[in-house]
Amino acid sequence: MVRILLLSAITAAFLVPLLWTGLASLGVLPDNNSRPPSWTGPATLQHFSEIGGAEPAFWQELATSTTSALGAALITVTVSFLAAFGLARARLPGDRSLTQVFLVLASLPAMAYVLPLSDLIRRLHLLDSFATIVLAEAAVTAPLAVFVLHGAIVQLPTEWEEAAVLDGAGLLRVLARVVLPLIAPSVAATAIVVFVLDWNMLLVPLVLTSGEVKTVPVAMSDFFTFERELEWPTAAAALMVSLVPLAVLVALFHRVLERFTLQAPAGGDIG
Amino acid sequence: MKLTRCDQLFLFAPLAILLGGWLVVPALLGLGATLTTYSPLTTTFKFAGWANYSAVIHDPEFGEAVRNVVLFTVIAVPLELAIGFGIAYLLRPPFRGRSWWRALMLLPWLVSPIASGVMWHFLFGSATGVIDFVFGWFGGNQAASPIGDLRLALPTLIAVEVWRVAPFVTFLLVPGLAAVPEERWEQATLAGASTFGRITRVALPAAKPLLLTVGMLLTGLSLGAFDTILILTGGGPGTATLTPALYSYERAFETNDWPIGAASAWLIAAGVIGVGAVYLRLSTRRSAS
Repeated sequence: MVRILLLSAITAAFLVPLLWTGLASLGVLPDNNSRPPSWTGPATLQHFSEIGGAEPAFWQELATSTTSALGAALITVTVSFLAAFGLARARLPGDRSLTQVFLVLASLPAMAYVLPLSDLIRRLHLLDSFATIVLAEAAVTAPLAVFVLHGAIVQLPTEWEEAAVLDGAGLLRVLARVVLPLIAPSVAATAIVVFVLDWNMLLVPLVLTSGEVKTVPVAMSDFFTFERELEWPTAAAALMVSLVPLAVLVALFHRVLERFTLQAPAGGDIG
Repeated sequence: MKLTRCDQLFLFAPLAILLGGWLVVPALLGLGATLTTYSPLTTTFKFAGWANYSAVIHDPEFGEAVRNVVLFTVIAVPLELAIGFGIAYLLRPPFRGRSWWRALMLLPWLVSPIASGVMWHFLFGSATGVIDFVFGWFGGNQAASPIGDLRLALPTLIAVEVWRVAPFVTFLLVPGLAAVPEERWEQATLAGASTFGRITRVALPAAKPLLLTVGMLLTGLSLGAFDTILILTGGGPGTATLTPALYSYERAFETNDWPIGAASAWLIAAGVIGVGAVYLRLSTRRSAS
């Protein structure tokens, strides 16, 4: 009982800023000048239609964010699934530390590598290309996906794979009919987390565009530049529009997401 | 199953092409360029040795940035781990709606770092903010936004980052704690362990390897802190919240001092790789024993 009370209090504390933003997007604002402070209303949906006035390309940018994050997540998960299976079964020398190297790669902050990438892309005249952004985002999240999927695959017993091979199945068949069905929840959970990371990514899409292909975070990065002080309710509405799809996704797949785990370095039971 | 050469090629080539083409090759070209006077704006360049790195290291502003990011990391990462672990511990025992609760707790992390900056900019503002609203109830006067204060700016940014990242730590730790066999908790309880004893003797040892992994991820991301700071303070006031990532970005794109920007970005990478080397030792030593 104490546990539930404590949890409720902590959850409430963490969610207050979002509640505040949600209310502001509906035009319900605090009046901090009155004593005691009070609320102004009434609630309205008008601020959502004002987004297009403040940032004319916003809905276009939302579409770019959605499609690029979807494409990048699909590529990342496909490529990482193949490599993770290889890593789990190939018995390479030193494969334990090799897996950990992927985690270190996943920890590299974007600023460490985006400058040369942006320069190279500009020289190859590939700036402002949708495909460039998708592939770059896919590359950035691949190490984390390899690490997570490897953790899921090494825990699988190999008997089913052996049995399929005895029946004459090739690699593709083993992957599609045996391995993928067994770890489908982990693959789905990884895809969702990677999608969230792609959707929220700033630096990578920022340096790969000269302003023509923008995602929502890139657009937000100049919300306050050039004397463009946005109205709070409009900004709050834009924040809500970029948050709600992720919230819905996580709510729909909350059970599947239980399968997203960073495998412990020791791999297996410790104790 | 036994993998043939051809199988291995099929499995590893896509990843190698993706990482090689988009990260490794540009990174190595960039590394070479930092040893020259190369800049995208100039047509000629010549070998410069370590001159760029030496210029970065002797720039007092970069020194400030390193000091800030080290403070940021050593305070934010343990706080994120501790708070995330605490909430995960509360979420551990199975109860109705636990997976819902875990998803609800994840909400702050779904806010992008840049959106978090936009949001807190207004929440700290006096006319619309949450702080003045609460202060107002206690009869306090309107406070200036803490992000404009020389001494409060960095702690405030740490708090904002902890708010966004601690829920993600919880999300990562709950499965690890839930996987601990129920007998282990019962044994501890029977042996008379208090809540504190159950945490130190059962939960922490079980979560230790996972905490190490999550700690690595958080440390790397903290050392590259950029998005939220860019929009909340832009590194100010003065250099109070400047980080190496912001320094590097400003040099490369705003003051058009590309070699300095690129060299300082490599110093960030070197820092994270250094931490990564320690992590590799720790994580592989554990699995050898």
